[in-house]
Amino acid sequence: MQVSTKWLKDYIDIDLTSDELADKFTMAGIPVENVIHADEGLEKVVTGRIVELKAHPDSDHLQICQMDIGAENLLQVITGAPNVAEGQVVPVALVGAHLPNGQKISKGKMRGVTSNGMLCSAGELKLELEGLPIEQQTGIYILPDDTPAGLPAAQVLGLDDDILEFELTANRGDCFSVVGLVRELAVLTGKTPRYPEVSVNEDDASESAALVKIGIDAPDLCSRFSARVLTNVKLAPSPEWIVKRLEGAGMRAINNVVDVTNFVMLEFGQPLHAYDFDKVVGHELTARRAIEGEPLHTLDDTNRLAKGGELVIADAEKAAGLAGIMGGFESEITDTTTTVILEAACFNSASIRRTSRAVGIHSEASGRFERGTNINGTVNALDRVAQLLQDMGACKVCRGVVDVYPNPKAEVKIKFTSAQLNARLGTQYTDEQIVDVLEALGFEVDPINKVEELTDDVVDKFAAATKNFSKAARKIGEKSNVEGFMKNLGATFGGLFKNADKAQDAVKDSGVDEFVKNIGSAVGDMVKTVDMKISSAFEVTVPDWRNDVRLPDDLSEEVARIFGFDKIPSTLPKGNQQGHQSATQNFIDRVKNILSGLGMCEELSFAFTSEAMFDKMQIPADSKLRRAVPIMNPLTDEAPLLRTTLLASIFENAARNFSRKNEDVRLFEIAPVFVPKALPVTELPHEPQQLVGLLMGRREPKGWSQDAAQVDFYDAKGIVEELLSGLSIGKYTVEAGEHYALHPGKTAVFKKGRDILVTVGEVHPNVAEALGIRKKIYVFEAEIDTLQKFAAKKFSLETLPKYPSISRDLAILVDHDTAAGAVEKVIVANGGQFFKGVTLFDVYTGERISADKKSLAFAIEFRSNERTLKDAEADAAFQNILAAVERDFGATLRS
Amino acid sequence: MEQQINELRGRAAEAVDAATNLRELDDVRVKFLGKKGELTTLLRGMSKLTAEERPIVGKLVNEARAQIEQIIAEKNSKLKAAELQSKLATETIDVTLPGRRVHDGHLHPLTLTLNRVKEIFVSMGYSVEEGPEVETDYYNFEALNLPKDHPARDMQDSFYITEEILLRTQTSPVQARTMERHRDNEPIRMIAPGRVYRRDDYDASHSPMFTQVEGLVIDKGISFADLKGTLEDFSKKIFGEKTKIRLRPSFFPFTEPSAEVDVSCVMCHGEGCKVCQGTGWLEILGAGMVHPDVLKMSGYDPAEVSGFAFGMGIERIAMLTYGLDDMRLLYDNDVRFLKQF
Repeated sequence: MQVSTKWLKDYIDIDLTSDELADKFTMAGIPVENVIHADEGLEKVVTGRIVELKAHPDSDHLQICQMDIGAENLLQVITGAPNVAEGQVVPVALVGAHLPNGQKISKGKMRGVTSNGMLCSAGELKLELEGLPIEQQTGIYILPDDTPAGLPAAQVLGLDDDILEFELTANRGDCFSVVGLVRELAVLTGKTPRYPEVSVNEDDASESAALVKIGIDAPDLCSRFSARVLTNVKLAPSPEWIVKRLEGAGMRAINNVVDVTNFVMLEFGQPLHAYDFDKVVGHELTARRAIEGEPLHTLDDTNRLAKGGELVIADAEKAAGLAGIMGGFESEITDTTTTVILEAACFNSASIRRTSRAVGIHSEASGRFERGTNINGTVNALDRVAQLLQDMGACKVCRGVVDVYPNPKAEVKIKFTSAQLNARLGTQYTDEQIVDVLEALGFEVDPINKVEELTDDVVDKFAAATKNFSKAARKIGEKSNVEGFMKNLGATFGGLFKNADKAQDAVKDSGVDEFVKNIGSAVGDMVKTVDMKISSAFEVTVPDWRNDVRLPDDLSEEVARIFGFDKIPSTLPKGNQQGHQSATQNFIDRVKNILSGLGMCEELSFAFTSEAMFDKMQIPADSKLRRAVPIMNPLTDEAPLLRTTLLASIFENAARNFSRKNEDVRLFEIAPVFVPKALPVTELPHEPQQLVGLLMGRREPKGWSQDAAQVDFYDAKGIVEELLSGLSIGKYTVEAGEHYALHPGKTAVFKKGRDILVTVGEVHPNVAEALGIRKKIYVFEAEIDTLQKFAAKKFSLETLPKYPSISRDLAILVDHDTAAGAVEKVIVANGGQFFKGVTLFDVYTGERISADKKSLAFAIEFRSNERTLKDAEADAAFQNILAAVERDFGATLRS
Repeated sequence: MEQQINELRGRAAEAVDAATNLRELDDVRVKFLGKKGELTTLLRGMSKLTAEERPIVGKLVNEARAQIEQIIAEKNSKLKAAELQSKLATETIDVTLPGRRVHDGHLHPLTLTLNRVKEIFVSMGYSVEEGPEVETDYYNFEALNLPKDHPARDMQDSFYITEEILLRTQTSPVQARTMERHRDNEPIRMIAPGRVYRRDDYDASHSPMFTQVEGLVIDKGISFADLKGTLEDFSKKIFGEKTKIRLRPSFFPFTEPSAEVDVSCVMCHGEGCKVCQGTGWLEILGAGMVHPDVLKMSGYDPAEVSGFAFGMGIERIAMLTYGLDDMRLLYDNDVRFLKQF
């Protein structure tokens, strides 16, 4: 919705600038998105009369003008335009002007003669060229001769009309009209509005009802349909003031009939439609559901087929328009129209919204119906159209309105108390303040008289409280054996209270007096509450135009926004609660901190992926990872699926970095993946949290004395080991594994029993190639659930040794394909009671040993926790280990 | 004899003085004090002296020895210092060469920002709740008072999986889920951070996926003033003590009253600059009092309790905190960007 400030000023006096006005609206919940200043660039442009015109001595086309600009002295301006003459009044841009076309005016000399400004053309002022005499389209813009000199050009050109562009919220349909905005403004400024007086002179004796038949076949979609008939219609262009108002609101003028319906729609917020009476078959209009496949020929000369179920307005033969969205082509107002049926109806918001979206037409009318119109405003709008056209001498008005309104809207009444309202807002507005605001907004406010309305409620609450009191009192009575207290419990409230007082003395020693005192104050509070309720209870009647107000809470917003949200105090919720994260959230934070500490950068990526990515990753056709959740309406066809593995995302990021020559990349991400329970999707998918990491490029940052080698499998594996150690996950096994995207000989699986903790490996060369990365890439992936399951819940400290340990080195030759891990396992298994640990410190293959062998060197540590170990004990254990590796792997001690 | 000793002591002092390195000094020591040194020889000659002379001369010799030893020791430490000095001089390295670096890891700026937000609210007694990213229409819209065909649904163009299942457009569904998990009318103080999805074009200020934090407080007697105070407190903690907030009335179907919340511009502190487009204010939050229908739908009685809710975009806060002008940087994952945080 946009509206010119002049239109607002027709109905209310405004002494605010357009910007102040916009701010006032915005801070009251009617957001102004933009203010278009009509005079932008015209601040230093004035009207000037050409007093004297002389040819420039050194030019054959320049002329020297002496201008009267309403100042004491004449202003000398040089112009090159041919269409100027003495006596003309023209716009003059003064020195310092910054014209709408961007041109800046400064003092200058033209061929030696000073020029103190510029005479302006229509183009330079960004005026409409259409309709101007041809010489003025290129030359200087000529104002009427009687225009006084020295006036601001903006005023003379009618360009002092600023436009407010509103971005209205979905609930305020009532502000989709000038009158609605004026109503708000009146409350906000305290000024008295001047609403248009609607009166119609029915000067055609024929009855509307005798001429047309109106029907509603779908009362759920059309709750009211009102119509008037206008005769002797004389189609003509609209008067200038209507055209200006429409243009200010962003609408184009067409002809007087259409323009006036639009004008009234903007004025009152009630969309209207005009039908050519003679083209409406049977002179009857019915609001009904469209039949599937029914042709719809709309105003924009588009032929559509109805989906079925959308609301149409039909004549005796066919649909004559999409109700509330766009009229029909055949019954459009044309030059030959002499009789008009005017429609003002009320349509179901949801239905209009559905249809409007389905056909892709968002009109001024549909926008208003979607937000809800005032059902009681249809006839007034019809009358206003008739009145305006009649005033223009463009029609006669038939008698009566045909009004089908099967279920008149019931008045909405809301009961509230000022205490309730203040409690919700945290304010202390008085009854008077609250009532004043609501009444100003058009609500009728009636105080609810005394107990009548609330008595029942109060009595119920009292009864319940009394019962509870009795119960509690009986229990106390039983405990303290106070017979008198017991006996009186069934009594009336007054008696009860008196007895409670008496009982207080009797049971003092038994410790219940505190209880009785509490009851006393509780009853006191209740009486106070009831008292307050009675004194400040109101019933309001919501005005017709406010479809959004239904609850006391809605009233609290009305009061708050008119007084201003800035007037509401700032407090904090009372009471304390313990803040916390869940165990899983803490665990994820911990994993992130460990990995970033290990030199990895956290990435965050979109959850979307594609079949093409799955192909690149070599995910097998039958893999469950291919069973991804599809999005019905993806942003692009390139990412129509929800990821089933985070590798899809991290690969993409690695590829993007590589393509930008960021070749040293260490990334990780923790995020959910989406595992459907069934395809097609019928219920929410699982969303397990996954962890992936990726390394490529140099082992160390580039530098004059840094390791220049590229990362390899063991760097990636080392990160995984550090992570597991950081999470206190121990005693896992590592074995060679398989993974669709990884090198078959360079994949390891970390396991804990049957559970896979982490898979780590080198990315398969085919995958790397498909990703466009000409580099070795290493990745690891893990499920957060599994990691969390095995992460130590408690910290356990390993005590520092009291006695020295003995270390023995074991250097052995084994077959080339013997897994070091297997050897280590055997060492651990045969280490004996003093075995404390083993570290593989050297691996050698090469010319000094035979090609089918490799050398492994382990440092093995022995220690006793009770005493200093003897060399002989360590030697014995060492021999035991040696025997085992000789036996299991045919290992020989390396000489 | 005494003369002889003095003469020797003089020569020794000259020799020590003349020594230019430790080896020469040692030669001097041997020459005068060694087993076959001159002083020793002199001492041997004492046998020829009388018993009366012996102690006198002995004393003189010992004094001479002590003196010579002392000047040798002094010279020795001088020479040692000089030698260390010249050794250190040869060991001088180019300290301007860069140090040996390690790969440094970084958390994502959104994680860092979210962590700050979480810390602030946890310290204010909020629990951190979560919910699924793929949501039912019911939790995402209907339980929040957004029935089908509600015009406000237009504000949030959604990615649909089926007619009834979609990628959540907001973290608000976690509200409804959390309320349902609680006993009726049980107080709640929670935030729900998480990824949300909207079918927006991907540009400098929009992204089809972004991060939201939803907040919800329900208890007896919670008021709009409590909401205002809470947001004021939060804004000061995250943007600095001088931060002011401004609430503008707005409309959300799940709150009543509703407000858009601005903070005074973090760049110009309200003067007006490019970041705040000259207004001095930055919109960072939507908030309001929980609509009674929303409370009812999730088992809370609006006659007994009331609550407030708010929602904010973490990207926006991160962009303001770190001075980013393009949201896409956050999801581009360029390591040159990630390494700056």
